[in-house]
Amino acid sequence: MPAGDAFTPDQLYDIERAVRNAEETSGLHFSVYVGGADSETRPFAIELLNELDDPDSSILVYVDPAGRRLEIVTGSLARRQLSDASAGLAALTMQTSFATGDLTGGLVTGVQQLGAHAHQPPLLHANNEPHKL
Amino acid sequence: MIVELSGHSLLVFVGIPALVIAVLALLVFASSIASGPRYRPGLSWWAPPVWINGPTATKPDPANLPEMPELTSAPGATATAGTGVARTLGGASASW
Repeated sequence: MPAGDAFTPDQLYDIERAVRNAEETSGLHFSVYVGGADSETRPFAIELLNELDDPDSSILVYVDPAGRRLEIVTGSLARRQLSDASAGLAALTMQTSFATGDLTGGLVTGVQQLGAHAHQPPLLHANNEPHKL
Repeated sequence: MIVELSGHSLLVFVGIPALVIAVLALLVFASSIASGPRYRPGLSWWAPPVWINGPTATKPDPANLPEMPELTSAPGATATAGTGVARTLGGASASW
């Protein structure tokens, strides 16, 4: 591992796999940013979300290890699938791991949880045909 | 009474224990040495930013976009251009 990298290749792979799984489960775009903020963390996280290709359908997880801050930002469409309460639960999970120094474990578990909460089961009644007895 | 230590005695009573201690210390710290510096909450963060699954391409700089004649003629148009539709964002925050 090159000196100074935040994650080893194996850790990066684990996080990327969790992100892919969450995207497949929810149909939303997930992005994870780990680093310091130029300003307040929340506005900075919103700026990062707006830089994504489809911010409305995206969920950004922002972690500031130095400032010990975590922000989860959901786009306007993603918010319909992932409520703020569910995001808060995932934030609590990540917060617990981060407090023990486990950045990778917290991100993997948290992103998986976000994807599971944002999962929308297929609508079986979407077809407007009347029931046939 | 002064005990004279021969070279062989030094090897047995000093060299071998030192070797055992060195091997044990290496075994204990090998994993942390291999994995590199570890994140410790409250201490400084050393690594450059990492963006996983970030934007695929950089968006064009609004300052370099060609000007639209119908907007530039209207006063105040540049103040609202590019702001887009106000979105309702959600999410959560935490600190540790």
